Order: sequence, then structure tokens, then C-alpha cells
Amino acid sequence: MHRRTFLQMAAAAPAALAAPDRKLPKYRVVSHYPAAAQPGMPGPYPGQVASLHAEKCIDQATEKPDPAVVSEMLARGMRALTGDTDVRDAWARFITPADVVGIKVNCSGAPGIMSSPVVVAEIVRNLIAVGVKPGGIWIYERFQDQLDSVHYERYLPEGVHIWAAETERGSSGSYDPATYVEAWFFDEEDTRSHLIRLVGSRFTKIINVPNMKDHGAAGVTGCLKNIAYGNFSNVARSHSGTVTNTYSFIGTLALVEPLRSRTVLQVMDGLRGVWHGGPFSPNRKFRFYPKRMLVGTDPVAIDRLLLDIVDDKRKAERAVSVWDRSTKYLGKPDDFVKDPNVNAFVREPGHIEYAGGLGLGVYQLDQIKVTSIEV
Amino acid sequence: MPLAFLAVLLPTLYWDQPIRSADALRKAGIERLYVPAGQEGAWSRKGFAATAFDRARAVQAVAPKVEYHMDVASATRVPWVDANGWRFEREPGRAFFCDAPVGSAVLAAAEAFAYGADAAIRAAPQDVAPFAQMLTFLGGIDRPRLPVRANLGVIDDGSETMAEALNLLARHNLLFHVIKTADPKYDLNIRRVPEGANPDEFAMQVRRDLTDEKRLLRIFGSNVVLVRLTADRARARVHLLNYGKAPVKGLRVRVLGAYTHGKLFAHGLPHTALEDYTLQDGVAEFTIPELGIYAVVDLTVSGGAY
Repeated sequence: MHRRTFLQMAAAAPAALAAPDRKLPKYRVVSHYPAAAQPGMPGPYPGQVASLHAEKCIDQATEKPDPAVVSEMLARGMRALTGDTDVRDAWARFITPADVVGIKVNCSGAPGIMSSPVVVAEIVRNLIAVGVKPGGIWIYERFQDQLDSVHYERYLPEGVHIWAAETERGSSGSYDPATYVEAWFFDEEDTRSHLIRLVGSRFTKIINVPNMKDHGAAGVTGCLKNIAYGNFSNVARSHSGTVTNTYSFIGTLALVEPLRSRTVLQVMDGLRGVWHGGPFSPNRKFRFYPKRMLVGTDPVAIDRLLLDIVDDKRKAERAVSVWDRSTKYLGKPDDFVKDPNVNAFVREPGHIEYAGGLGLGVYQLDQIKVTSIEV
Repeated sequence: MPLAFLAVLLPTLYWDQPIRSADALRKAGIERLYVPAGQEGAWSRKGFAATAFDRARAVQAVAPKVEYHMDVASATRVPWVDANGWRFEREPGRAFFCDAPVGSAVLAAAEAFAYGADAAIRAAPQDVAPFAQMLTFLGGIDRPRLPVRANLGVIDDGSETMAEALNLLARHNLLFHVIKTADPKYDLNIRRVPEGANPDEFAMQVRRDLTDEKRLLRIFGSNVVLVRLTADRARARVHLLNYGKAPVKGLRVRVLGAYTHGKLFAHGLPHTALEDYTLQDGVAEFTIPELGIYAVVDLTVSGGAY
């Protein structure tokens, strides 16, 4: 396909999917990377999720995960997803020894919540088991300070890279100047969000490891938001006042090549979660312990399940639903982080369905096959 | 295209300290001074090229700086920038005086140079050495007489409302040139600012009317860098002024024009070069890996000389 044609199609897609009553920003997607024959998202298992629960996967008092239980959860999840009896065969469906694998962690809520180092270490162990060299594995995140606070190096073999795009907040040198999404949201001067350069230049595969979190703007933050906002620069510009463009921006970013094609596996770490105040977690009273892990290739399907997990917890806590768009709950950000019945933005949990409409996965619950496993 | 040419002046240190400070100035590398009337003889006898400067008759420039208003809710969290470029544009040919508190004289010198302004800058004693280093850097850049390039022609009515509008146009890197009468060479001619208009909203409306696609120069990766552009058919010069408190890393620049080559002159970073240079559909783009206070990028079309 001619590059210009690709750009036009990419720009046209969101408009075609817009609800009649919703005015969406105009997006211009610029990328010279072609899509894979079968893009990683939704990948070979659209609409399929392996849902693992293990009561002993984390000690609630200390918030320390149990590595052995986590290992068992991940192994059974990979086998359930693929149908393989040997876990190495399951991993080998996605990863070859020659791959350079980026593991997209989420550290925005650290130290309260983050992609658990125990979960990440178990993923790394499996990658090495299928032949990937430690030097071919990159744990990565956007912000250096958040990444450093987790200390993944204490859990990983020597040689595994731990890398952040922004050693100083706002620095743009680690982003690809030729791969970006342009949109003008709120009169910002810089209208571009660039993809992390390593995604195109170094990684051949990406494994996404989000958490189970409430999100003040997006409703929830799971696979889609971690892979989208977590791989592009200058994304906070999409929120202003009580308005956020997460509804369409998340899916638009996740669709950009080569990010879409190379993200081959989703491992949602739900050992602990955040039911209010996300994506940060300064207040432990808003953390909860689903003790779950969701494994699949379809980020939309997993996030659809996440919506109910977070909203059910909010209902149990008598907090306003993530779906509530009433302005009566809008308040100051300072109050949002303290009061579960205050919203900082009109939340946009519809971003998941929107991403489904873009072809990133299956949204309808009755079309999602969940394999539930108790470990 | 506009025919106004950028003057080629170097800013000058305004010095009203006692004559006993001569050795410190010489040690810093200062050779030329503006001094209060009556002191030029004494400074000349000390070996300086000293000229009397009447600061009271000069246009007063502000100390360039950035202020981060974290407590003020704003659409894009844009920091407040105090800059003089719009003043230089508004009153070309006038002499300017900037009383620069500690830490601001170097940037004041750079912005005066970028706009070709005759500026007397009163630097704090501790800033004299870095000020002199900036002058050395500026003196090492050739100074071709290139026309100012702008998208907007602005007919200035001299009002305070217009002053604030010019300030905001400059703040948003909407390149303008002050003109006497409307000129079709510009993409837009601004004849007046509506009474009571919010200057920031006015600037944004101008931006919408112009469209970003038509903008001769844009930057990505910072909201505290202001730009200026001069160019003729064969070459262009981009001035980049960083008002922020830290270097900008990975600044992307987009220039309308079929420029095939670019060369970077970055203050304080002599070994840096442009990265990821592209030319596509008549638009040149490149990345400045690190921008300190000031940099110049000279662009040429194939076969042209810098």
C-alpha cells in the first residue's frame, strides 16, 4: 500500500466510527511501518481471555506476591489460552529466540501499584526458557523516575535492559520523529505525540503488562491505555479542565504501526488493583486485591472484563460508577484523590468499545470467551 | 514575500559599575560597552570601545524569563513567558534597554541578536562572563542580510490591546511582521484586534484561520521555545530561543521550504548536529538533540552556500 493511502485510511477511521452526538478530534497518523499479516492486536485469539484467580498469589497485609503461585498462574494462563500442554510451546507461539522483546510495564502508580516485579520476572524467565537472550529483553516505561522507584533490577537476571524514554520529563529524544499521531485538542502548540523509538527500531515483539486500575479520565486503565499512552510522548495534552479525549485517542494510538503489530501478548497483573484515584495510588484505602491475572492477545476483551471488575468494586464501595457522566460529581483533582464520589473528568470508559470498533478486539461480553481457572 | 531585512547587530553590555571593574570585564572578554553619558572617555582610556547610551530614551525591554503558574488552571499548562521579540518587531530601528537581573542577561543577548535589535543589556556582575561567552558565540556566526519571513502581516495601531496581541502571537510562534498597509504577500493580514478580545483567544483564532499546515515554522517538543525565521530563495535561518530553565532535549523543527541541508550552531553545545533530517513534499524537518539557551539553524537548498 502506498504510504499516502495508508495515512488517509488511518485518519479516516475514527471519524467513521464516531457516535453521531460526539464530535471527535481529527487525527493524522504518520507511520511508514507496514502492518503485519496478522497484527499482534487482537492477535490469534480475539475475544478469548484466560482468567486466573489464586487466593494465595499475594499477601494482602504486606502486598508481597508469592512467586511460585504467580508462576503457576501464568503457566496455566498461557496453556489455557493456546491449548498447549507444554508451557514452552505456548510461549513459543509468540516469541522466538531471535526476538528482541519489549515488556511494557506500568509504573505510574508506584510504589503503591505497578506491574509487579514478580510477574515481570516470571515473564522474563519464560522468555529465556524459549531461547531469548537476557540482552534481548527490555523492560520499559516512559518516565525514568517512576521506573526507578520499582527496582526491577533486583528481580531480573543480569543483562536484561531496564529503560525509560524520558530521563527528564518532557525530553523527546527517545521518541521517533517519523512516527506520530497529530491532533489539536486544546490549543496546545505541540500537536504531535511520537511513538517511542525503540518500538520501531529495536523491538520485534512487545508484551503488555498493565494493572487493574481505575482511571480518572479514561474510566479504567488496562491494556489499551498502557500500550497507547504508555508508548507515546505528549499525551497529557488530551485532558483539560473536566474534558478528556481518551475516548478516541487511546484506540487511535494503539492502532499505530508498528505498535499494533508487534504487541503480541497481554498479561494483566491484577494481583492488586486500584478502585479509585487512579492511575496513581497514593492512598492505600483505594487499593483492592482481585488476586487475578488476565492473559490473552485481545486488549479490548481483557479491558472489557476490567471495566466490570473495577465498577463492581466501586459499587460495593458505594462509589459513583465509572459510567456516570453527570457533572454533579465533578470536583477538584485534590478532592478526586480523596473522595470516591468525586470525578476529576467526565470519564470515558467508552474508549474500550471505541477501540473495538477500530479492530483492536472484541468488546461485546457475549462474544468473549473467558476461561476461568482457580489456582 | 516581505522585504524587510534583519539588521545584523550584536547586543552590547550596558555597564554603570565603577571604573575599577575594568579588569574584571577585560578578563571576561568584554571589549565593547554602552556606558552612561560622561563615562565614555574614562572607559575608552581603559581600552574599551565605549559609547554613551541614554537608557531613559531607549525602549524598555523586559528581563526574559519563564514563569510556571502551577496554581492556575489552563487548557494546556502553558507557562508564562516574558519575551521581547514582539517589541523588537514592533519598533525596528529603536534602541532598547534591558535591565537584566541575575541569570537573564545571556538570554537577553541572544534574543536581541535573533531580532537584530540594538540592545543595551545591563547584566549583573556575576553574569558578565557568560554574557561575554554568548557574545563570542554570536560573533562567530555569520550575519547574512536575509529578509524576515512571516505568515502574518500586522497593521499596528499602537494600542495596548495590539501590544498584547503581538505578545501572544509571538508566544505561540505565529510569525508576524508589522506593516503599514495590508499586503497580499502574507497569508493573513491583521488590521485590528476586536475591542475587548481576549488576546490569547485572538491568537488562537488567528492560528485557526491560518492553519498549522501553512505555518512557515513550527516546533514540537517544547512550549518554552520561541522562534524567528529569515530566508531568501536559497537559504533560511531559524533562530531558536529557549526561555525554559533547563535544556530542551529532542526538539523537532518543521520548516516550510525545499531545504536540502541544514547546519546547527548551538550555544554551549559546539559538537551537536541536526538529527533525523527529512525533506518531503516541500517541508524540511529535523531534530535538535539538545537546545541550551539559543541556537541557529542555517538551511540551504541543494547547491546553495551557508
